[in-house]
Amino acid sequence: MKKRLEKTMSRRTFLKGAAAGMALLGPGVPFITRRAFAQAPPIKYGTMHPLTGVYSVLGADQVRATEMAVEEWNAKGGLLGRKIAWVHRDDQLNGAVALRRAKEFLEEEKCDFIGGTLSGALSLAISEFACKNQIPFVAYCQSDMVLGADQCKYSAGFMVIPYMAALAVSKYAFENLGKKWYSLTADYRWGQSLLEGWIWQSEQMGANFLGNAYAPLGATDFSTYFAKIMAANPDFIVMNNLGADQTAAIKQASELGLTKKMKIVCTKTAMHTIKELGAAYDDNIFGGKTFFWKLRDKYPTSKKFMDNYMKRYGQPIEQDGESGYVATNVLFMAVEKAGTVADKAKIMTAMEGLKYELTKGPEYVRACDHQRVQSYLIVKGKGRRAKDWDLADIVAEVPGENIIMSCENNAKKLPFINVKLPK
Amino acid sequence: MLFDVPWNVIALQLFFGLALGSIYVLLASGLSIIYGLLDVVNFAHGTFAMLGAYAVFVSVSLSDSFLIGILSAIIIIGLIGGLVEFVLLKPLYGKDPLLPLLLTFGLSVAIPDLIKIIFGLIGKPVNYPSSLSGATLLGSLILPNYRLFIILFTLVIMTSLWLFLKKSDLGMIIRASTRDSLMVQVLGVNVSRIWTTGFAIGIGLAALAGAISVPMMAATPDMGVDMTMVAFVVTVVGGLGSLGGAIVGGLFIGLVVAITSFIAGEYATVSMYFCMAVILLVRPRGLFGEIGRE
Repeated sequence: MKKRLEKTMSRRTFLKGAAAGMALLGPGVPFITRRAFAQAPPIKYGTMHPLTGVYSVLGADQVRATEMAVEEWNAKGGLLGRKIAWVHRDDQLNGAVALRRAKEFLEEEKCDFIGGTLSGALSLAISEFACKNQIPFVAYCQSDMVLGADQCKYSAGFMVIPYMAALAVSKYAFENLGKKWYSLTADYRWGQSLLEGWIWQSEQMGANFLGNAYAPLGATDFSTYFAKIMAANPDFIVMNNLGADQTAAIKQASELGLTKKMKIVCTKTAMHTIKELGAAYDDNIFGGKTFFWKLRDKYPTSKKFMDNYMKRYGQPIEQDGESGYVATNVLFMAVEKAGTVADKAKIMTAMEGLKYELTKGPEYVRACDHQRVQSYLIVKGKGRRAKDWDLADIVAEVPGENIIMSCENNAKKLPFINVKLPK
Repeated sequence: MLFDVPWNVIALQLFFGLALGSIYVLLASGLSIIYGLLDVVNFAHGTFAMLGAYAVFVSVSLSDSFLIGILSAIIIIGLIGGLVEFVLLKPLYGKDPLLPLLLTFGLSVAIPDLIKIIFGLIGKPVNYPSSLSGATLLGSLILPNYRLFIILFTLVIMTSLWLFLKKSDLGMIIRASTRDSLMVQVLGVNVSRIWTTGFAIGIGLAALAGAISVPMMAATPDMGVDMTMVAFVVTVVGGLGSLGGAIVGGLFIGLVVAITSFIAGEYATVSMYFCMAVILLVRPRGLFGEIGRE
């Protein structure tokens, strides 16, 4: 009897424990890294990245790229004769944590600039914070923050606007892979932005949109979505997802033999996804990227950049790191051009229209909305022929000008606004 | 909504649900055994499943045999589980019941980081075993072989587990200790050893769940978090400490997720928690949660 009573108590403990644990496991565990610089008074740059959780592989890349940029500048004698001190923190890919980090950068660390993040949603929040506090913010990720009439003077985007990725990949797919398409979309703002771009392009090019399935973030079994897709029989499936979601979805599509019947097109893909998929990421799989190390065969700047990075870290850089490298460099170039650290508005003005050639071909930051105008690559998998980091081939490079809307459209009348998303 | 869909699409969906549910069954039955026997809320359950996935990756890259991969996952990770119980958990028995929970929570944070240090941040792929790739035609139904394997394999494992617990001497002692370990000890059985064995079996089952799911995704350091969550949801739905509950709960949740992802994909994950909430309100001890249990 006593034992039974004890068990009843334990069940409650179990449930309480389960609830507490789920709350703890959800957002991950804080992990703070600091870097101390002895020089004074240095110019201070604070960046945040997802260093814990499923995207930590991309966060680590952002950290390395930023480190490389900062060290290169410091080796050249710093910025305006002052050393650059860099601090970075874990934002856990969590909005509340990211805002806290931004506050810490500003109030405790007394940073002059902030940068980083892997999430468009976080970048929107930090951009608003940067605006309010008039501190320059350079976003490393795909972000919508440059859209809208009240675009912030103090923030700049260095990956692409999500719709740009969708436009580049969809145009390539409709021209080369077929017109009938079905999409699998991660059910949050980023996935939906991509889907808007796809549907709009589909209408423009007379393609046939057969349907869409939304999957929650972190779904592990995608086969349950494929029954519907198999019945619809499209020319290709569009993956508007990322990371582990994309890995599982492609793996299971290939298990079901779908990749033999249709192609798979990922609006954004990543090297680690291709690596995780191994043989399953074959030449029936296409993916979009802003950067892939094989650009080194095309641009001398890419070669130099890649060689330096390889020498330091022993592996090629991912797009998320590359955009961080460019963001950090362009920010420092703007400071140099403005000739001031204190006058933040002047620095942002100096960034407007700034031309540079760092990692790809010639690029610039657009004056009207502070968006880096860069090309978008389409890569094709190599399956069993992949070796080490030779994971895919670049099949197309779509120029940035072709996929970015005019300043006026970005600010006021983005054509995708009228796109009706499927339920 | 469902009426204009061909029946074979729905049947396929249910089949996928059963396959998914089978993995859940393995996960939850392990958690259930551990809780039933030791009263330990094992927060590192998914973490051990993740270790099972990595064990498959390592042994498949060494031996090129998926079978060896699965065997090594259950044996090696099961042994590691036993060791964890013996070295870390044992000193905490009889103290605050929250201590084992905190310990396993700590493990669920530390072990993935260790894996990141050893294997790197990028996940490791395991291909489908060639003998299990392809599909079987059943009328107009195309059933992927690997999913069939998962369902049959789980059936075999659960039947053997049931026979073991029901018929073998050790199984009977384990069941008796689940009911009243003090009495079993009085009868002259070394209960402490039974606990270690039970924990190892539970962890072995978790490792098995991770091992058979790894070809469908990839072995990644953080995959355990979701698996722990699922194991808890299924265990709560099925009833704590009940093997039958873990089986019915696992299959039930698998089917619910499959059907929801068909009708309204974005709610697939939420549906699982919704079921849990409803069960907790209507029948707090879960479907099979008779406290005396089998």
